[in-house]
Amino acid sequence: MTTAPSPERTRLTHSLVLLLPAVLFGLLVSVQWRTQAERNELTVRYNTPLLDAAKTLQNEQNALKVTLAELRADLDQIQTSASTQSDAAKDLQSRIDGLKTVAGLNERAGDGVEIILDDARGAAAAKDVEKSICHNTDLTDIVNQAWRGGAEAIAINDERIVGSSSIYCVGSTIMVNGTLMSPPFKVLVIGPQNELLATYDDPTQLRDIKQRRDIYGLGFRVSRATGLHLPPYRGALNVRFATPK
Amino acid sequence: MRSNAGVISVTIVALFLGVLAVTQIAAQDVYSRSLQLETPASLTTLIANLSERNNAIKDEILDLRHRTDTAREAIAGGKGSLTEAERQLSQLRVFAGMSATSGAGITVRVEGAFDERALSDLVNELRNAGAEAIAVNSVRVGPRSWFGATADRALTVDSVAVRGPWQVRAVGSPEVMYVAMTRTGGIIGQFQLIYKGTRFDVTRESALDLPALATPLR
Repeated sequence: MTTAPSPERTRLTHSLVLLLPAVLFGLLVSVQWRTQAERNELTVRYNTPLLDAAKTLQNEQNALKVTLAELRADLDQIQTSASTQSDAAKDLQSRIDGLKTVAGLNERAGDGVEIILDDARGAAAAKDVEKSICHNTDLTDIVNQAWRGGAEAIAINDERIVGSSSIYCVGSTIMVNGTLMSPPFKVLVIGPQNELLATYDDPTQLRDIKQRRDIYGLGFRVSRATGLHLPPYRGALNVRFATPK
Repeated sequence: MRSNAGVISVTIVALFLGVLAVTQIAAQDVYSRSLQLETPASLTTLIANLSERNNAIKDEILDLRHRTDTAREAIAGGKGSLTEAERQLSQLRVFAGMSATSGAGITVRVEGAFDERALSDLVNELRNAGAEAIAVNSVRVGPRSWFGATADRALTVDSVAVRGPWQVRAVGSPEVMYVAMTRTGGIIGQFQLIYKGTRFDVTRESALDLPALATPLR
């Protein structure tokens, strides 16, 4: 024969059921409060005007690139109409158009590969933060590998890579062609698909990136891609000191 | 009623716990990238970089406006636009590495242990410092150039072997590139720490002659 629990025991049980979640609740609230307080302490008084300056300059750059593209198009139009005036002009224009294509100053369409590079997400990344995040050197290695594989055109997050392109890192911010970027990075490569896939699949190449992908969860995926459209390079040519011989 | 109130209380607390737990886990992202988390020193460097790029684009905009006006006047005056076309061709030949090139710049001499990734990084830094044309020994670096190594430790540029000691020559502003390479914490300083025993020398040059790309681009 079973006996019903006493009222005191029932109240004790109910209290314990509520006590545990209450303790957890209080713990989480206090940790959350501290984390928020730490973040506010990190925002030193100079950061706000510096942040505003950086964002303003990036916005200015975006607008300047549009103006530059419009002026280039205007001059191209003038040149193209003028080139009909003589064979010499036509020949010059043809050579200019050819050089612009190989130099990355024209849009480019074609098939190739897509490479995604991203910071690790999740528990694997906790082992070693440095090894689980993208670095600018990862992007330079990926671009180097693409040229090695016979690429004809490359773009990183819509920035065309040309002979003057740099991939730079300041703090945790990466700049490509002087444009601020953050992961994930989509690298589009136009070129011979089989050769490009083979160069990225080669186990002796990009060993550091592949190892960090396998152990630390760094995001790195290469896939075949068709119908790619790469924009032209929109920055300054900046040829001031060099003259052709 | 009292047991219902108890259930409701537990449910509400559990709900709050769930929300807080998820928020806290999300807040513990291993790495968070945001301009807001950069130090003032990094932000200052970013601002300097952006400023420089923007000024270069503004200069080119001014130059293009002038050239467009000149081309229009020349055509309207019956002189044609060959001058502008020749100027554009000249600029593009340098930009694409398709012509031998001369101009002031710097030379970075490397004697000792070095590898293809370091060479790639050095070229990247020179480009970031505004290098307009680069050559490694007698091999021009072009828009599609890649760096590798041979089995016997020679470095390669576009599959052409370049043996040490290496001379990396860059045409561009000598002062800007020299400072970029040799500043405290810059790439030469980093190389000196990593490649102990390797000698790195950077010199300003008033006149450099660089060859054209060995294989023209198509």
